[in-house]
Amino acid sequence: MQVEVSRRKFLQGSVTLSIAGASAVSTTNLFSGEEASEHKPSQSGIPSTITTKTSTKKAEDVPYLCGICVNKCAGFARVEDGIVTKLNPNPYFPKSRNMLCARGNAGIQTMYDPDRLKYPMVRIGERGDGKYKRVTWEEAYDAILNGTDKFKGIKQILDEEKDNRATIGYCNGEGLSKEGFEVLVGDKIGSPNYVDEISICLETVLGGYVNTIGTYGEADLNNADYLIIAGANRAEAIITPDTMDLFKRSKGRGLKTIVLDPRFTNTAAKADRWYAVNPGTDLAFVLALTYVVLTEELYDKDFAAKHMEGFEDYKQHILSHNYTPEWAAKLTNISAKEIVKTAREFMAARSPIYYQGRRSVFSKNDFQLRRAMAIFQGLSGNLDKKGGIIYGQKLALPKEDINAPLYAQVQSRFDKEGIAIPASKTGSWIVFRNMVLEGKAPYPVRAMFMRKHNPMSGVPNTKKTEAFLRKMDLNVMIDILPSDTTMFADVVLPEASYLERTSPVASYGGLEPAIVQRKAAVKPLFETKVPEEIYRELAEKLSKPLWEITQKYDEDVQDDTKGMSTEEIEKYYKENGFDLAEPWEKPVHEQNEEKIVKAFGKEAWETLEEKGVFYPNMDKYHQQLNPNEFQYYPESKKNYSVKGDSLKVVVNFKNLAKKGVDPMPTWHDDMAFSVPEGKFRLVTGRHAQFTQSGTTNNMMLRDLIPTNYIWINNQKCEEMSIEFGDKVEVKSSIGKVTIMAYPTNKIAPNQIFMLHGFGGSSEEMEMAYGNGANDALLIEDKIEPVYGAAVMHETNVEIRKV
Amino acid sequence: MANYGMAFDYKLCINCHACEVACKEENGIDLGAKNHRLWIQEDALVKGDFWDLDRSEISFMQMQCQECQDAPCLKACPNGAIYVDENGIVRLHQDKCDLTRACMEACPYDARYVDEKNHVTDKCIFCADTRLARGETTTACQITCPAKLRYFGDLDDENSEISKVLKEREHFTLKPEAGTKPKLFYLK
Repeated sequence: MQVEVSRRKFLQGSVTLSIAGASAVSTTNLFSGEEASEHKPSQSGIPSTITTKTSTKKAEDVPYLCGICVNKCAGFARVEDGIVTKLNPNPYFPKSRNMLCARGNAGIQTMYDPDRLKYPMVRIGERGDGKYKRVTWEEAYDAILNGTDKFKGIKQILDEEKDNRATIGYCNGEGLSKEGFEVLVGDKIGSPNYVDEISICLETVLGGYVNTIGTYGEADLNNADYLIIAGANRAEAIITPDTMDLFKRSKGRGLKTIVLDPRFTNTAAKADRWYAVNPGTDLAFVLALTYVVLTEELYDKDFAAKHMEGFEDYKQHILSHNYTPEWAAKLTNISAKEIVKTAREFMAARSPIYYQGRRSVFSKNDFQLRRAMAIFQGLSGNLDKKGGIIYGQKLALPKEDINAPLYAQVQSRFDKEGIAIPASKTGSWIVFRNMVLEGKAPYPVRAMFMRKHNPMSGVPNTKKTEAFLRKMDLNVMIDILPSDTTMFADVVLPEASYLERTSPVASYGGLEPAIVQRKAAVKPLFETKVPEEIYRELAEKLSKPLWEITQKYDEDVQDDTKGMSTEEIEKYYKENGFDLAEPWEKPVHEQNEEKIVKAFGKEAWETLEEKGVFYPNMDKYHQQLNPNEFQYYPESKKNYSVKGDSLKVVVNFKNLAKKGVDPMPTWHDDMAFSVPEGKFRLVTGRHAQFTQSGTTNNMMLRDLIPTNYIWINNQKCEEMSIEFGDKVEVKSSIGKVTIMAYPTNKIAPNQIFMLHGFGGSSEEMEMAYGNGANDALLIEDKIEPVYGAAVMHETNVEIRKV
Repeated sequence: MANYGMAFDYKLCINCHACEVACKEENGIDLGAKNHRLWIQEDALVKGDFWDLDRSEISFMQMQCQECQDAPCLKACPNGAIYVDENGIVRLHQDKCDLTRACMEACPYDARYVDEKNHVTDKCIFCADTRLARGETTTACQITCPAKLRYFGDLDDENSEISKVLKEREHFTLKPEAGTKPKLFYLK
């Protein structure tokens, strides 16, 4: 093989590097307090250079769990003189199997980001103008309770709302401290109005699979021999162990891989076949695959008879609707011949998997798509067995009892408009926001408590999110960086990053279950605090004043406490959960120890402390196979099959019909893909070197991927005289952005693509500010009808060179 | 004492750049596109029209110093700053380098760049003064790789993993016509 080798060629050829952003990096501001181009440590514990060469001295290796994305890989932080100099993969965790991706390695730069939130702040200017005053933690908590001359405190708001706790909304991002925030604002303070990442992420995938096969499951890509992977870009949206297992086995190495994606991704490049499916038409593809296997009787008949509930109904349904390959070919852009071939190959394979996928909702039919995929998997019979979709096991941790108080005055959540099955806990971001904005909420929502969540970037239609935040009387944000959303907070509480905190232990189930613990590698930098400490302190501050409001308005509490002495009332307050701080009486590390010792004994705790990972028999099972790879469980101890006769595939889900949802996956004409002449369909996605808006300020990653471009078909670009790097305006019905063009043959002429997460509006994030474009300014706020989850790929746009 | 080499199961690469970041963090390499001890080269851009893409030739190649047994850089240096260490790794006496850049021009693999922090030419040395110096036996790029495509070890030890894999599988070196006898091998 001839390979031309050239660093210069690499520099020229790489899109991400050839237009390195010439951004000025020098301003000093209240947020950073130091120069952004290099570290000028104002305190010890900050390295003087951006990267620190590891030394030959002895160092401490602290086990931690990565927090740069949601995946949770395990690592060891190398700590030299209080500085984290390197992050190494942890060889004990079966999920991440001794690997860290580019982002994981760059986690150091997030901790030492000069733009980090360093101390508590209170807004002194107008909302959004970035004027804040540095305060003490006590002053910040006081501002949340009592307000300032610029905004109202929660005490006044709750008093005015007569103790209706639902006047508080709250939102939260994924992570190990997420649950604690839900306990604080939901269970303890009593707000039912919670929105999180699920309704802008994988809600329909989870819902579709859990309601059909009883689990989302784990795809055993190590042992499968045939894979259809549609709209999941595992080479660029890394998930462990899937990414690791898949690509070492594709392309003639044992796992035949068929990729469906409107775009030619790195995953497509590594596949045996790639189908450029029309956006939003995967359902037609799956229905036609199903048609082929039913008409040709290729399915696992024993399995269908034994485990599939409503199989005959479905057969009738598919055949009577005539979901033929020829029918699907017109809709999907995949030929009938290829559909037939894929269906036959799938059913002929020993262990075929239709990969569940794991990302945002593509189109309005996403729930039905996932149901159809899960049923199709069932037709192969390849469930709950080696090489199939695995149910697995989970190691049980002792349950925590939350003493949640009952508030008589609290009203219920309302974000149900247009939704068949509203999620009672996590709601719908779009519907919640829009109903508040449009005055459709049955009572005023006046405060938002937010943590580690950036709806200005994550929720479609940024303008509405901004208007929603402006409408609030009080916004509180707990975060590590001054995100676009943080800039609309009245009180900002700086959190310790994941390398600075010990987090609640977590149990990861599946084929090879394990317990993991993230330990703090270093102490919290600046004046930041670990989330659980913030929860406790805020709870202590709010507890008694909010209790007084409850006593004033809550007739149940008044009846209960009538005639009680002060001591008796105090006892009632504690016994009935009104003492908000009670869940955090003990620090996280202590709680972890108690839980693990109780469930698995003292030795387990010692193992977890040292290695970051524990599972029963780990000392026997865990073995090094070669310098780089390990065995976690012996083959005979892996949880390939756990369900037995209880395995059930719900094909005809009759109860759905009562909610107005098709009980079996059905194609409707309005699902067809079409783009008006002169317009383009906007598709978005991820990249292996950054995690949405969370890492756009990471110096190391920005070096790899400085900005986002808009992918436009190269022939289309010629027609429109658009060249690489030209600025183009992209306009949808809700907004417009300007972004640089990347002409490419990897996308269809009627579609455009941009990476999600760029185009930050917070001036306090030097690297991210104004860099690239924010797709949430373009994506129309449409929802799918089952859960009200945001639909990401149904927006058409116009583009013009500017 | 060892004779270190590396082999790449190069077709497994997904171009994720984990190796590159791990290398930079481990060895304190400056940020910036030109400052790389190793890089991934996307070879043969995807050709053709969207509806008919020619995708047969796509590969992501792991590029870095090829650890030549007959190293042009060593011979080219007018100051005698370049030497082979006890583990068979081409190294640099930093104090003898005055940036003539002769080594950079001589290298057929474009493996060297100017390290502006230390005012020397720099390249991959298998983490020799970081991980190996601490007694570790893996490189930063090797362990972090999601595809686990890098094999690193002692070529003189016939029981080492790398020796075994080179015995079992066909492989090639880059630019054999340059006669440099690289110790980096690409597995077919």
